[in-house]
Amino acid sequence: MMSKISRTMELQDINYNKLDYVETASGNKVCRQTVLCGSQNIILQGKVIVQAEAIIRGDLANVKTGRYCIISKEAVLRPPYKKFSKGVAFFPLSIGDHVFIGERTLINAAQIGNYVHIGKNCVIGRRCILRDCCVIEDNTILAPETVVPPFSRYGGAPGVPVGDLPECQPDLMIDYTRSYYQHFQPTKLI
Amino acid sequence: MPLYETLSTEKLIVVLDIGTAFTKFGFTSEFAPRYIIRSEVRCKKTNSLRRICDYNSPEDLYDLLVEFIHTIYFKYALTSPKDRPIVIVESLLCPTLFRETLAKVLFLQYEVSSILVLPSHLVALASLAIDTALVIDVGYKEAVTIPICYGLPIVQAWQALPLGGEYIHYNLKNLLSNCNTGIQNLSETVLEDIKIRCCFVTKSSRAKQLNLAKSEIVPPPDVKYPYAGAETLLVAGKIREKVFEIMYEEDNDHLCLSTMILDAILKVDIDLRQKLAENLVLIGGTVMTLGFKARLKEELQKQLLNERYQILNIKEFRFHSPPCKENYAAWLGGAIYGATDFLSMKAVSKDFYLREKHLPDWINLKDVTNMKLPDYTTRVL
Amino acid sequence: MSYITGPDVVKYACTCGLLKPIPQLYFCKHCLQIRCRFCVCHEVDSIFCGKCSENIPSAEARVKKNRCANCFICPSCQQELSTRIASKGPANPDDAKSPIKKTYYLSCYFCRWSSRDVGIPDQPSATGGWPERENVHINRLQEVLDTYKQIMHSEKQQKESDKRKQRGKFVSYTDKTGVTASALRKRIGLPDIPHAMLKKPKPPEPAVAKAEVDELPESIFTEPIKLMEVTTIEQRLMQPECQPLTVDKLFPVHKQLSIKQSLRCRTCEHNVSKPEYNPNSVKFKIQLLAYCYIPEVRFVTVEPLRAGQTVELIIKFTNPTQYQTTITILDLDLDEQAQYVEEQKLIDLTQNLEQALSLQEKQPMSLPSLPYSSGSQPSSLLSLPRLPSVIVKPRKIFTETNCDVAIPESSFILPPRDDAAEYDDSSEVHNFEDDPKLIKWRKSNKAFVKLAVTPRADLKLGDEVVCGFTMQHIYTNVLPPAVENKQPQKYDHKVRVFLTLGKVVGSE
Repeated sequence: MMSKISRTMELQDINYNKLDYVETASGNKVCRQTVLCGSQNIILQGKVIVQAEAIIRGDLANVKTGRYCIISKEAVLRPPYKKFSKGVAFFPLSIGDHVFIGERTLINAAQIGNYVHIGKNCVIGRRCILRDCCVIEDNTILAPETVVPPFSRYGGAPGVPVGDLPECQPDLMIDYTRSYYQHFQPTKLI
Repeated sequence: MPLYETLSTEKLIVVLDIGTAFTKFGFTSEFAPRYIIRSEVRCKKTNSLRRICDYNSPEDLYDLLVEFIHTIYFKYALTSPKDRPIVIVESLLCPTLFRETLAKVLFLQYEVSSILVLPSHLVALASLAIDTALVIDVGYKEAVTIPICYGLPIVQAWQALPLGGEYIHYNLKNLLSNCNTGIQNLSETVLEDIKIRCCFVTKSSRAKQLNLAKSEIVPPPDVKYPYAGAETLLVAGKIREKVFEIMYEEDNDHLCLSTMILDAILKVDIDLRQKLAENLVLIGGTVMTLGFKARLKEELQKQLLNERYQILNIKEFRFHSPPCKENYAAWLGGAIYGATDFLSMKAVSKDFYLREKHLPDWINLKDVTNMKLPDYTTRVL
Repeated sequence: MSYITGPDVVKYACTCGLLKPIPQLYFCKHCLQIRCRFCVCHEVDSIFCGKCSENIPSAEARVKKNRCANCFICPSCQQELSTRIASKGPANPDDAKSPIKKTYYLSCYFCRWSSRDVGIPDQPSATGGWPERENVHINRLQEVLDTYKQIMHSEKQQKESDKRKQRGKFVSYTDKTGVTASALRKRIGLPDIPHAMLKKPKPPEPAVAKAEVDELPESIFTEPIKLMEVTTIEQRLMQPECQPLTVDKLFPVHKQLSIKQSLRCRTCEHNVSKPEYNPNSVKFKIQLLAYCYIPEVRFVTVEPLRAGQTVELIIKFTNPTQYQTTITILDLDLDEQAQYVEEQKLIDLTQNLEQALSLQEKQPMSLPSLPYSSGSQPSSLLSLPRLPSVIVKPRKIFTETNCDVAIPESSFILPPRDDAAEYDDSSEVHNFEDDPKLIKWRKSNKAFVKLAVTPRADLKLGDEVVCGFTMQHIYTNVLPPAVENKQPQKYDHKVRVFLTLGKVVGSE
């Protein structure tokens, strides 16, 4: 599906097996083949898609996502920890609205703002802060405690700024996550 | 930093020395560049880095420079270029296309108020406070020697050879491919890194032995250079020692770095020769290589015995050591000149440029004959 | 999405002739022209540190050399350094209550470099006191600079006084009589002080050249080099003043500050983009983006492309504005654009260098491709204060289209954008009389349009097919509120759109 998205501009329908997904009253679509540890600590604000084999470690600390977040296949959301002299402590992970997280990406960040696009196969290091409107390219490794400022584009290992983003990035992300949600439809049985 | 400098409300004036490989950027009246960055920009279309010197048409160069100057101002200088002067340090042998395109980008695209163009060989002497010297600039593309006499560059005595970092890289690439099977296309960055970290300029006594079939010298230890993840590249000790030898291998015209310098001295007036030989100034990134100066001195003395240079009658060569690193010596001169009133006196203003539609240049007869123009190459101090 | 990651399939032509995807374009409401980053004037709006997200006033940034006072980057790998706490045992081990002494050091979480590696002592406070290195030559250089400044200053004054003398029409008394000022001074009993201008400053002590040079250390021939201890060129150039050769001389580097930019149209000097001051804010005070004013064209599907065969192309039009618009698809007509470029009375960039100066003083605003559909241009627009400035020369659009587009006969209407429509799932009722040949389907402010395209017959297998057309839409101007009539102004605005359709495939 992903390859098609980059080729065409208008999103195609993304179909899933209806039996595999649970849809909540607030419009969250969560795949059954996911690992959601400590689900009482996970808050999905609505219209969030969590795809197959994603892992969310709510057992470590609270995980909160905004509206219209897309968590792709095999992505891992793991609250960050901090070492102290008397052991380690985990801190909550908060994610804003209209955030896309690519396949097989590991998120260890403390905070992800709104309108953030994270590519696939990325590692977002411990206690990183991703401000609103930033893009992390595919296969990026962000060093722990990196702060990504708004309207910047990071790539590489270790992740460094590789460019900036147009002013209408929020609109683009709203449009993208909304249409992704709208096109994420169960396969129609004939 | 002195206190008055911090309190001054003057506008910051950018000093730029755009080299083939690296660009030196900073402000006037500072004694080191803020940044030394690669002269390259990220191409929007392919998302890859492109060097400015690889332009393929005048429009392409224009676009590359627009992008590059934008990065300089908005990523590093953090000021707007509009209605401010700028100081450009450039070689006297800078191609006309490059100068004119740069002027066009600065005046039209970025609306700078004036440009002060300074010849790199001349201003490199500013930090030394001398006015007569033989300046040898060994950069990436070429080595250029121009004598400066009493603050005047003797342009007719210039000598240039394509002996720079690029040629060293080319040589290193060949030497490495010969001793590492299967390795053909090493990238410029890898070659540069090997050159910087492993290679040096050897002594002349050892250099003679290097080319003999049976040499008596023990080569320096080999270096295992990590390459492409898990692999290692063997940088043999002989290569480390040999790679800079091409600087002193005479070509078909019997020219090499040392003869080039002596030829430049030969071309100036007989009374000035000894003075020039006693005031050698080396600038450019390549001269920072370990052992470069020592070897150059040896080679110069060796060449003096040559029949060609007997006439020179030079007794001794003396080298200056500038109060800075050699790779930004020219930039530093620009920063010093730009801090003085020279800027307001000799800079090419936007009005002048819009009227004349070109930058004055020493090569241009129109500028040389018309004395009303700012004579930018001439002496000042 | 493709704006974020993929290649740009649909490109719009900017007024300056460059082709860019619509998110990178601006629409100046005052000139009613498309602008892009290439043809607007950039300005520094605010300076901030990307790590600590603090705004730094420009005067302070200047003093700090455009670097953050508190944030450091690693001299080894250029990632951000973190401050770590090292607690030493209590000052007085017998007294349990005595406070634990905390010290701080800098550490890189990526390459594990730490300030302890280079022997920087731990600091008692988290924010500062890190030792800074001074340029060893600073005294000498300052001396040289100061004397040069004086020399040039006196030379300048000399020149000016020379000019003044030449210009002077009146011969002064002293000149006529041959009595110099100095002689006059003596005569009337004043001490003879030399004129300030005539006093030549002393030139600085010239540097002395030495015959001895640094010899190559003998150890290089025998001792193996430890590659990990020799710095790379990036590490050296990060500290231009000292350019250390070995890693034990690397010092932490202050993080470079970033800026927010505001953009200004060069023709009318109005801002097209001005960000908010807060570094974390992604909002704008002024944001004249083409994305918000010009209908967006998106590529949906195309049948397999074969040279010479007419196929169906489906594209989507979206109206981003609050006003209804009518879209007409017209022929590309690149000649008209070329003519527009000619009209700017500019010389082509490629002409010989002596004249290759694409200069243009500001001209009264002309909108050659904008016939007004209703009303005349508000007079306020014409009387804007304009500073004499130079406009970036527009270029001819340089794109080869190799595919013909059959221009539809009818135009279509796009209703305004309705943010509430998202929550409204009830089927909409359209009263538009659509040409079924043109409109495939429509929903709220979007319409899917069918176009017949024919790749040229001479295209080879695998050639990239590019087509283009001119989109004319009605732009409703709400700014400034017209004085005479309360009706918003409506203009026909044309923009050239280029689509990369894909590659030519083989025959069935």
